Amino acid sequence: MNILAIESSCDETSMSIIKDGHTDLGTVILSQIDIHKMYGGVVPEIASRSHVESITIVLEEVLTKASMKIDDIDAIAVTYGPGLIGSLLVGLIAAKTIAYIYNKPLIPVHHIAGHIYANNLVNRLEFPLIALVISGGHTELIYMKEDYSFEKIGGTLDDAVGECYDKVARVMDLSYPGGPSIDKLAKQGNDTYKLPLPLNDSSYDFSFSGLKSAVINLVHNEEQRGNKIKKEDLACSFQNRVVDILTKKTVKALKEYDVKNLIVAGGVAANSAIRNSLENACKQHGISFTVPPILYCTDNAAMIGAAGYFAYKKGIRADLNLNAQANCNLEDLL
Amino acid sequence: MKYLFIDTSADNLIIAIIDDDKIIYYSNISNGKDTSSKVMPVLDEAFKKTGLNVKDIDKMFVVNGPGSFTGIRVGVTIAKTIGFCLNIPIIPISELELLATTSTDTTYNVSLIDARRGYVYGAIYDKNLDFFVKESHVLLEQLKKKYPNSYTIITSSNAKIDLLKVIKKHKNDEPIHPHELKPNYLKKTEAEENLNG
Repeated sequence: MNILAIESSCDETSMSIIKDGHTDLGTVILSQIDIHKMYGGVVPEIASRSHVESITIVLEEVLTKASMKIDDIDAIAVTYGPGLIGSLLVGLIAAKTIAYIYNKPLIPVHHIAGHIYANNLVNRLEFPLIALVISGGHTELIYMKEDYSFEKIGGTLDDAVGECYDKVARVMDLSYPGGPSIDKLAKQGNDTYKLPLPLNDSSYDFSFSGLKSAVINLVHNEEQRGNKIKKEDLACSFQNRVVDILTKKTVKALKEYDVKNLIVAGGVAANSAIRNSLENACKQHGISFTVPPILYCTDNAAMIGAAGYFAYKKGIRADLNLNAQANCNLEDLL
Repeated sequence: MKYLFIDTSADNLIIAIIDDDKIIYYSNISNGKDTSSKVMPVLDEAFKKTGLNVKDIDKMFVVNGPGSFTGIRVGVTIAKTIGFCLNIPIIPISELELLATTSTDTTYNVSLIDARRGYVYGAIYDKNLDFFVKESHVLLEQLKKKYPNSYTIITSSNAKIDLLKVIKKHKNDEPIHPHELKPNYLKKTEAEENLNG
């Protein structure tokens, strides 16, 4: 079964053709990152404008890449949320139009389900599992008993982890996006700055705004005292606290839910320190560890096509009146 | 010749099918905030009621602005997608020109769309829908200085759109390739304005 998948929830216009939920026949990802860099973050209206300008170009490219015609496609999968509403709408309208004119089933896919199923493009998921989804917009722990069954056990109460990296990078005058800049710098530094371990409690929830504020205050205080910040050390100290809390709560979930598999997904899954810490923790506890290749970590349509296949098998379909949703729960369309 | 007309950029969502210069389907409903969920069912109804298929369409006319940024993108994305998939030529239409098709007893029509904070999207047209003052995002007070002697102000609240008039004027225009069709926002994003300002 061939699924044409469309993802436009943030600043990547992406389409992909995925066979049977695991084989990538062709993926096109048009990133707008160079445009948004000038503004220090994604500007929603600019993102929406870029999506509409490239939507049919990306469609033509993906068909060329997979050497297919739309007639060869069995269904259309699309991210309906969560994300930037104006951005989501462009992909959603294109998907509905294609589904309508070719009379193909339309499959609504939750963006986070996509991130989780990015792993299915590499290794078949083993259930039950815990998924840690970490990106610029999300920090969530999800328990999956079987295919396309999601139970959110915890999430961020404020900033997403990637958002926290971006804001910390900004106050340290590092380039956007903050994750890779901080990750790189942290490797050259030592954990010397005292920063709080955020929301260090027995829940599965996260909170990064306190840690973010602590870094911002530290930088401002040092500036006022005329002291120079050791950026490498601050990057290392900050990243260590993030790694510590993510690892601590994830390991607790792995044990409590007695799972066989941990999968890490989302753009921040590309972070080497987070990857290494979680991988080591899994080794210690005899749990298999899966993380998608970098290409499938950041937003892409291949993951939507993979998730879309399992959603389709579960009978999930949308009508022509499907709307984009800036906020929605994984459990909503099950 | 069968034409599909799409306007999702304004207060009213209009879908029409024109066959040999006659309107054979016309839907004009209040747009509201959920254009994206309303528009496809209307499109579906248009084809069901006329017994036509999207493939039967020879040419599409789509309003590409100015107006609601999100609304514009909905119509333009539909037109681009249909145009690319089925190789149907697309001709963009200005919302201001569409408003100006309203029949009046003055020499000129001043088309206005509110753009907030004293600004409008505005243009002034003669009876042939040619510009007297071309369209722009402008302070209303500035545009007023250019008003001719004999004019009527047309906004979405008093417009009586003559679809066939605007189609007749533009049906032989050079079509735009789906990849090249762009919204006509008439205004940069605030972020871009701040960056340049």
